[in-house]
Amino acid sequence: MEDLFFFDSNCSIGMPMNGGNYAADAAALLSEMDYSGVEKALVRYINTDIAIPYSNAMVAELLKGDTQDRLTGVWTILPSQCHELPEPDEFFGSFKENRIGAITLYPVEHRYVPCRLTLGKLLDAAAERKVPVLLNGFAGKWSELYNFMKEFPELTCIYVERCGKWGSDRNIRPLLENYSGFHFETAGYWVPEGIADLANEYGAERILYGSNFPQYNHGNGMLQLKYSGLSAEKVALIAGKNLENLLKGAQL
Amino acid sequence: MSVWNETNSVAEHCWKHGNPGFPVFDMHGHMGPHYAIYFKRGEAADMVAHLKKAGVAKLAFTHHYALWEPSYRNANVCEICKEFPENLRFYVGINPHYPEIIKEDLAQFDKWRPYVLGIKMLAGYHKVNVTDKSYEYALKFADERGLPVLNHTWGGRGHYNDGPSMLKLVEKYHNAKFFHGHSIFGDYEYAERVVKESAGNSYLELTAVPGENGMIEKFCELVGSEKLIFGTDLPWFDEFQAIGGVVSAKISDEAKRNILHDNVERILGKEW
Ligand SMILES: [Zn+2]
Ligand SMILES: [Zn+2]
Repeated sequence: MEDLFFFDSNCSIGMPMNGGNYAADAAALLSEMDYSGVEKALVRYINTDIAIPYSNAMVAELLKGDTQDRLTGVWTILPSQCHELPEPDEFFGSFKENRIGAITLYPVEHRYVPCRLTLGKLLDAAAERKVPVLLNGFAGKWSELYNFMKEFPELTCIYVERCGKWGSDRNIRPLLENYSGFHFETAGYWVPEGIADLANEYGAERILYGSNFPQYNHGNGMLQLKYSGLSAEKVALIAGKNLENLLKGAQL
Repeated sequence: MSVWNETNSVAEHCWKHGNPGFPVFDMHGHMGPHYAIYFKRGEAADMVAHLKKAGVAKLAFTHHYALWEPSYRNANVCEICKEFPENLRFYVGINPHYPEIIKEDLAQFDKWRPYVLGIKMLAGYHKVNVTDKSYEYALKFADERGLPVLNHTWGGRGHYNDGPSMLKLVEKYHNAKFFHGHSIFGDYEYAERVVKESAGNSYLELTAVPGENGMIEKFCELVGSEKLIFGTDLPWFDEFQAIGGVVSAKISDEAKRNILHDNVERILGKEW
């Protein structure tokens, strides 16, 4: 939008295994973003949960189709002991050339315990470099997410998980209160004026606009944010500046 | 150019002014606390303030307690509506486990006009199928008077308010106005059938749908925008989010007007 810069923090590209909505490539995704006036997006591969490690190569490949530099990719991590990914220095060292800006994990689908034993090496390196970690693979298992945050309190992370449409304030707020690096993304958080409540209580810099495309469209959350009741400055932070700052803050 | 700056469009009006430029009718709301969620704005005054911000002229709702807590009676809800006569209307919450309460409440229906609109059934939670005889008294009452009947419905098969059960209802009652709450979410086959195989008295209500990518577009294709009714489950879902989901859908401005306003006016008239 000309009057508001939107940077989508929750967006997927590629063709889902079981069909449904999708943007197969960068051109299709960018055209959807244009329809709604979303400038940039942080993009995961849609089959990351089931197509690791192909998905990491695939998202990098698909981003080559974006010649306007509007898309930033996300790579998925796995426990280091099976050597499925390069060592941390090499792994994070290759982010820039592949236009990757953040990481994610799917402990439930990929069947491991997300703790220091499995992920310590990689996540300590991520925390040190301030690489944002998307939290979208805990399948609604709050106690596992709570344990994870206890193990890695220093992470810069963004909670982008959609588990139904009922506002999860009782679970989200304790995390926002206790972990300063914990950020909350707004897709599917449909609580009336709830975005403003969270921003006022925990700081607008902790809240990020996201669409959860392709399951959701981009537009519904845009109007919700614009008329959240927050000041124009705070709306602008949530719409795009916060994510831009987080990605710029990463030492890659 | 994005959907938000198409000149003189409904979406542009929403983006610039926070409302579509005509009054919106929200036909599916609730009120009061609910055990499963924290509500900051669950009481009447806060809800009405939120409605007004988004240009929603009227909300038709059922109090959570009128559905979940049998000792809380629909008469209380009528009193709440009287405090906001321009903005609030209610459905009588029907609990099939208390037939005497149903009869007592419906006996007051005419006295509760114009605040009362119709009846609301929550079969999935009361665990009694919508076709069960315990609803018959209320359904006949609504059918004789041509009243709105809002049901909580959902996709999947073999449960209390699934597509096949809703189809049986509309086959039996030809005069009540059925609003299928959540549009039998996910079951496109029956969403289409309950409208097309009805006597013209069957509508898909959109709570939880706006924002789902392509879903409103699909419903417009299957049954036409004249058969869609707007709703939010307020205080569960934000009015701007839901209106945003409708006006950013890839449908015509005429369809957006039908959904947000015109269809309800065609069903209930200008004064309700
Ligand atoms: Zn419902
Ligand atoms: Zn409801």
